[in-house]
Amino acid sequence: MWEELDRWWPSISSGGTNMEFKNFSIAIGQTKVARFVDDLVAGKIMSTSCKRCGKRYYPPQADCSACMSSDMEWRPVSGEGKLVTFTKIYVPPEHFAVRQPLMPFSSVQFEPCPIGIIEVEDGLKVMGWMPKIDLKKIKVGMKLKALPQILPDGKVTIVFEMV
Amino acid sequence: MKKVAIVGIGHGKFGVRSDASLRELTFEAVKACLDDAGVPLKEVESMVTGIAGDEFSIALQPSAQVHDYIGFQPRPNFRVEGACATGSMALRTGWMNVASGLADLVLVVGVEKMTEVPTSVATDIMGRGGDAMWEYPFGTTFPGYYAMIANAHMAEFGTKEEQLAMVAVKNHFYGSLNPYAHMQKKIDLEKALTSFTVAYPLKLFDCSLITDGAAAVLLASEEKAKAISKKPVWMTGLALATDTIRITDRESLTSIKASREAAKTAYKMAGVKPSDIDVATVHDCFTIAEIVAYEDLGFCEKGEGGKLIEAKETYAEGKIPVNVDGGLKSKGHPLGATGVSMAIEITKQLRGEAGERQVKDAEIGLSHNVGGTGQVVAVHIFRRD
Repeated sequence: MWEELDRWWPSISSGGTNMEFKNFSIAIGQTKVARFVDDLVAGKIMSTSCKRCGKRYYPPQADCSACMSSDMEWRPVSGEGKLVTFTKIYVPPEHFAVRQPLMPFSSVQFEPCPIGIIEVEDGLKVMGWMPKIDLKKIKVGMKLKALPQILPDGKVTIVFEMV
Repeated sequence: MKKVAIVGIGHGKFGVRSDASLRELTFEAVKACLDDAGVPLKEVESMVTGIAGDEFSIALQPSAQVHDYIGFQPRPNFRVEGACATGSMALRTGWMNVASGLADLVLVVGVEKMTEVPTSVATDIMGRGGDAMWEYPFGTTFPGYYAMIANAHMAEFGTKEEQLAMVAVKNHFYGSLNPYAHMQKKIDLEKALTSFTVAYPLKLFDCSLITDGAAAVLLASEEKAKAISKKPVWMTGLALATDTIRITDRESLTSIKASREAAKTAYKMAGVKPSDIDVATVHDCFTIAEIVAYEDLGFCEKGEGGKLIEAKETYAEGKIPVNVDGGLKSKGHPLGATGVSMAIEITKQLRGEAGERQVKDAEIGLSHNVGGTGQVVAVHIFRRD
């Protein structure tokens, strides 16, 4: 590897703490769909559905772009579906890169976790982490189930498990 | 609508330009552009500046830095933005200025200084170019998004990692012949295939470069163009199309729908078809993106993009030469400058001034510039007299 490459893509995982997956610290607190997180904590993945034209939205929307109505209702997502695609990101964004605070000059520490998109009912697509599935065993089209998961620090995210 | 031509081109050196500021990079490109056109800046009536991010070089009003440094005041200048397609948005806005009759000579500048922040921060900034609210919490990055497109394409059409690497080998070959390219080095298939994984299945050499750079073109109305230039290059087809912010909401993950829509509109406006294109610059932010672009632009059938590069049909001697300037892959991808740089390469090719990289008798060219993961796509068609 040429030395200059390191300048563009600095070193990534060099072992250390295992960060299996990151919390779902979504920035939706100040939106009209903020209850989505409370529902996740209660174990449900919720979508919205337009009461006028019936169009469903996941992630939930407070407004319907199909008929411009804002009369929406909440409906649970079954969570079971087929894997549309996936990846495993080895070079994480800064926010997800965990640094060792007491180690001067330490490099980024991160244990990557695969992510994917599954298509559930009504063509809805859900993104999630796959912390328990080996990358080599992941195949487009495989059946998975999306589940909320509460992390040790109380934050919540969505994971996929084998059906 | 008035006819619009490119009558001047100026390309700065792309690379890690810690020797120059945003405004100094712009000056290099603008000076080269005005010299090429043989037009003094005082004759230019209006200006458009394309800069994608405020965060790379911390500036709330970067376009003002730029017009001040070249001494453009009090004439009009404003900034446009369309993520990685920002340069093409600037070009489109400049074209609108001339086509509408608002001005006869318009300077279009694209510039970005991305390396003032560490790579991990740049990755973070670009990752939030997707849906920061709903996708970014899953640690998405741009390589991650395109890796998901790659895995979908490989699963549906049997596209191989080797075919992705072949795009990198081609673009590095041409980058080695381009003095303005960030990385002027050839690579072989093995080097590409054995580089470390950034986001499975994309490896280091599947990714374009984080780059500093500027590019500028001068646009003119027909009367002005004929008075100024011996070799005007006409912009005969311009199209812009949009798609959903989230890739989860896309109809297909093996195609960029906005590319297909923009291509259809641009071909219609220019009165040409894909087989008429002699040379193209396409948005190869990742190798898979170039393969998908071959298909979306109609250079081959859907799913056949991998085979097209394997048959070397996108080399300068092939059926449809693509990114013979090195592409984003090897020339580099300074977001705001990229679309303008693409137009410069096509202009050089149509003028017959591309040197070793020249496509024989090129008459009609196309540029294809994708913003983000296809939220906004510009396709432009160019023609010489």
